[in-house]
Amino acid sequence: MQLRQIKNIYFKEMLDTLKDRRTLISMVIIPIFIFPVLIFGMSSLVTSQAQKAEQKTKTIAIYGEEYAPQLTQHILSQGKFTQIKLEKDSLEKALSDKRLEAAIEFSFDFEEALNQGDTARAVIYYDQAEVKSELAESQLKTIVRKYEEQIVEVKLKAVNLSKEAIAPIRIASRNLAPPAKMSGFLLSMFLPYMLMILCMTGAMYPAMDLTAGEKERGTLETLLVTPASRLDIAGGKFLAVLTASFVTGVLGTASMTITSILGVTRFGQEAQAASASLSINPLSIIMVLLLIIPIACLFSSLLLSLSLVARSYKEAQSYVSPLMIVVIFPAFASFLPGFEFQTIHTFIPIMNTSLVLKDVLLGTFQWNKIALVFLVNAVYAGIGIFLAKRMFEKESVLFRI
Amino acid sequence: MIEALSLTKHFQDKKRGLIKAVDQINFICHPGEIFGLLGLNGAGKTTALRLLSTTLKPTSGTAKVAGFDIVKQPQEVKSRIGFLTGQTALYPRLTADEVITYFCRLYGMNGQLLEKRKKVVFETLGITEFKDTKVDKLSTGMKQKVSIARAIVHDPPVLILDEPTVGLDVITSRDVIDLVRDAKKQGKTVVFSTHRMEEAAKLCDRIAIIHKGRILITGTLSELQTQTGLRELEDIFVRLVGE
Repeated sequence: MQLRQIKNIYFKEMLDTLKDRRTLISMVIIPIFIFPVLIFGMSSLVTSQAQKAEQKTKTIAIYGEEYAPQLTQHILSQGKFTQIKLEKDSLEKALSDKRLEAAIEFSFDFEEALNQGDTARAVIYYDQAEVKSELAESQLKTIVRKYEEQIVEVKLKAVNLSKEAIAPIRIASRNLAPPAKMSGFLLSMFLPYMLMILCMTGAMYPAMDLTAGEKERGTLETLLVTPASRLDIAGGKFLAVLTASFVTGVLGTASMTITSILGVTRFGQEAQAASASLSINPLSIIMVLLLIIPIACLFSSLLLSLSLVARSYKEAQSYVSPLMIVVIFPAFASFLPGFEFQTIHTFIPIMNTSLVLKDVLLGTFQWNKIALVFLVNAVYAGIGIFLAKRMFEKESVLFRI
Repeated sequence: MIEALSLTKHFQDKKRGLIKAVDQINFICHPGEIFGLLGLNGAGKTTALRLLSTTLKPTSGTAKVAGFDIVKQPQEVKSRIGFLTGQTALYPRLTADEVITYFCRLYGMNGQLLEKRKKVVFETLGITEFKDTKVDKLSTGMKQKVSIARAIVHDPPVLILDEPTVGLDVITSRDVIDLVRDAKKQGKTVVFSTHRMEEAAKLCDRIAIIHKGRILITGTLSELQTQTGLRELEDIFVRLVGE
């Protein structure tokens, strides 16, 4: 093995990789833009859709209108609802056909119960699976509650009581989680998963291009006849793929952090709530970057080995795509609420990183666990690199004899 | 000089069983000589040349290339050979200059030596005017010139050429033929494989006819004619291979 040759191959592969549009997209464009697009795009889309849905007049049916004429009048005077006449039998079908959003039914003794100081009953019918219907339900409920408050106030006044008299105890909850923990909460679920995927996609295209792609173009043999040994070639290519994987991860982390900070200072409350990450501390960021090194090594070596077996770029894609699914499942662990990190998980690659990254982003630094995960992944990466080296030494793989 | 000594390569194929791709071949090619390996497709030419260039390891036997053993000293061998085939390609996204610089570095050249050698090769082959163009944008002929430059940029004493004119038009083939003749003039050792009779007859000082991994006959064209009593190389070939 000669460091000089590894360096030669590495720099050439990086130059070649940076001239490849596909790799540039997966290595630079996607990690930089995925977070702002996801966070601001999605949150503003959701907000604007919700606003639109809220402003839109809802169609409702009212049953037993004659039993609660005042409340009916009150509901319709808000300007939020259009009333339609509908047989109660066909209500369920009409709801599922989206001919109306909700219906309210007053009991026959509604007004009477109110006057006598009893509880007057009404039922709201809606379809919880429909956002608009659910919105109509909550709007109807709010209006009825407000109406109820007015009645209560009048009744209390009649007996010389204040509103506070019927609310003698006020209980409040205070969140004592440190700001770093709160701020990282959303990030902690999302970032580990995204980082795993980004490290993988970042390595994918260069790995295929530098092996199967080179075979397909007929350039691999010209490299094999040079004084660079197989180990030099494997080393140079591995480092190039690793760089791509790591850069993708770093850019992803940077983009996520900047997006979050910008979200807090520049954008409105929705964006703030969505990004919810005022202070990702420097230690977290350093640990994140450190923890993705062995995992990027593992991805790079596995992808190189797999794609080297293929004769063409297309064949390599069919080998590599299933690996993506293998990565997605364990990476998803960070998304599972209440998923406890147990010792056994330390030995499951990807899942271990996903879970330990989640802890780190929440500001919990269990150093022994972090060290163990790093070590375990380093061992896996070592095995992966050894496998890649063996592949580069195999004539049957290089020439597909 | 190249000296193949009982050079053998077997492959295990799941369907066809043991394949003797190269079977105990022996030949010598001296400096200043063009040695032709003539055979049908699948005769074992490519495997033989891959063994000589050390990209494949022999099952048994060995060969000496420029005085070094292909099994024991592959790195020494590699730095002394120029390898070219009709199929070898270049990196499409790099410029001609970047490609050649890369190979110069792989052959251990740096700094002034690298620039000097590049200049000589570019001028000899007429690459200078398109050296900064991406390989992707070059014509087949230009690409072949860059390929030749890649093979000879380190001034190797031995050239191993595996069907270097396959798929090339007449004009581009001429560049390869010129390369072979120049190499001979410079006293280099040239092994050249082909399945084209006229090319072998025209270029090679000595010819070996290879079939099913074995060399059937070796000699100059006139020696082959004397041994077989036939005049045309094609007739000689058909008789030997057909038997």
